[in-house]
Amino acid sequence: MIKVQNVYKRYRSVHALEDLSLEVPQGAIYGLIGPNGAGKTTLLRILGALLSPTAGQVWFDDEEVSRSPITIQRKVGYMPDFFGVYPDLTSTEYLEFYAGIHGVARRKLASTITDLLELVDLTSKRDAPVETLSRGMKQRLCLARALVHDPDVLLLDEPASGLDPRARIELRELLRTLHGMGKTIVISSHILLELAEMCTDVAIIQGGHLVIAGGVEQVTHSLGGTPQLEVRVLERLEDARKLLQSMPEISQLMNGNGNNDVIHAEFTGDDRALHRILAALIAQDIPVVSFAPRKGGGRLEEVFMSITEGGSAT
Amino acid sequence: MTFMALLTKELRLRLRRERSVWVIITYLLVMGLLGFGFLQRESAFSGGYQGYLLSQIGVQLYTLLSFVQLFLIVFIAPAFTSTAINGEKERQTFDLLLCSKLSSFSLLAGKLIAGLANALLLIAASIPLFSLVFFFGGVAPGQVLSALVVFVMTAVVTGTFSLFCSTLLRRPTVSTAIAYTFCVLWMFSYWIIYLLAIGSSFYGNPRWFIWIQWLSAWNPISALNSTLTSGAGGTGMISLHGLLLAPWVAFTLMSLLITLILFLLSIVFVKPNFTNRFQSWIRPLGEKLKSPAKDTAAV
Repeated sequence: MIKVQNVYKRYRSVHALEDLSLEVPQGAIYGLIGPNGAGKTTLLRILGALLSPTAGQVWFDDEEVSRSPITIQRKVGYMPDFFGVYPDLTSTEYLEFYAGIHGVARRKLASTITDLLELVDLTSKRDAPVETLSRGMKQRLCLARALVHDPDVLLLDEPASGLDPRARIELRELLRTLHGMGKTIVISSHILLELAEMCTDVAIIQGGHLVIAGGVEQVTHSLGGTPQLEVRVLERLEDARKLLQSMPEISQLMNGNGNNDVIHAEFTGDDRALHRILAALIAQDIPVVSFAPRKGGGRLEEVFMSITEGGSAT
Repeated sequence: MTFMALLTKELRLRLRRERSVWVIITYLLVMGLLGFGFLQRESAFSGGYQGYLLSQIGVQLYTLLSFVQLFLIVFIAPAFTSTAINGEKERQTFDLLLCSKLSSFSLLAGKLIAGLANALLLIAASIPLFSLVFFFGGVAPGQVLSALVVFVMTAVVTGTFSLFCSTLLRRPTVSTAIAYTFCVLWMFSYWIIYLLAIGSSFYGNPRWFIWIQWLSAWNPISALNSTLTSGAGGTGMISLHGLLLAPWVAFTLMSLLITLILFLLSIVFVKPNFTNRFQSWIRPLGEKLKSPAKDTAAV
């Protein structure tokens, strides 16, 4: 478990982090959410023992980071926001180099690199110069680099920035695979929907302060970001609205964003409740053409936008 | 292992670049054409090489090639190391090196050796050119070896100073400019001060003499001059605190000492938060020292 206790970081007059405390459970995918300049990168660099906090402590299990930075760096795989590559090296040579400086034994080198290239789906590019790879491929190669010494914890700073939708989905699947392998992943992003779908825990940071932290459901609920239900009907919209209003699991009906055949509702029940609602609509012979429950990410984004509105960059 | 991984990567990167091949070709062409031009001139002047004149020509050719080589080394060596560390920062690869098992020593040693390998490659590539001198005679193999030591030490000092600049300064252009300024001052400051002092009242002063001897002992031109038979006063010994040394030996010893100091300073500055790291080393010691005092206070 990673424990951040009352951490402050100041760069002369700039207060990057202010009395920040949070806990990252072992095996979690922990999302750090915040606008640009909120202090996410500073926090990740402190977690990776690349920066010392001005005050406060960071613990990895029972080891304090500033007392044993080298031990911590061996446990951590860090992927920065902007990272350079050595363009004249091939993908294999690039990973060979980082495996070498992380002390991977020579006899394990070839198998480690083959496994990593397979994991990030770059086997076909093993002899390609790094400069010829696309941004998404470079990002995956950098993730493989962060995994080269088999760390317990991955610190990923905006890994999806600048990627096209396909590359984002591939990266998300890769992170889920790594989570399945038991890695603890701390990931920063300002794309809330992505984190809401992927993370087990989140922390919202603004201006160096922690706004809220905890499990995704807990944070979503605390911020009023309840799951939503979107129902589209061919006709009899009013009947459908009345029926939904009568259901105990529907807490509120909202506007249909200008569509006169769509109903948005706040929903608080489970899958059985969803089934009951759908069965009731069909029993009333209402022509339902779309029935889409959604997690609270969309609402979370709205709430996040409102609580971070006008936040000063630090 | 970590050191070898860095060295392998550096050598791969450097030797794959087209620029490296062109540097070697240009270097050998400059040396070769100067030697060829000199021989052409001598041939026209003397109307053919005969008797003892051949050895004279050999010595002159050797002297010319040696000084050209020295200036080329000073011109080229800083280029390979003056952006070694801040270049990594600019490429945004430095953080990734910090998050590894690579120690400060391995990082700097790998960078320095890889940078110097290029300079040493040039020196090695020029050996066949120098060997031509033996056809003419007048130059002993021992002289060539001592000159080689001067070349290598010159490359090591300029390389280490440039590496130190790249460690200390954030911008590669600034570190390169400062490294070259140092090289020019190192080469010529002794001679400029010497020439300025000849006409002044300092010249006969014994304290002044000691200072000028120290400056002379660490001057690559003086050191190379001392390895040449025809050097003007170059064969004289230098007395440093009563120790009589050949100038090129004194130069080598001083260069080793200064290289060591610059390398240690680079180790101090290469990784961030040196104060914190230093405190984390001495904190356990301080706690051990404090704990008996605490016990006493509790009693």
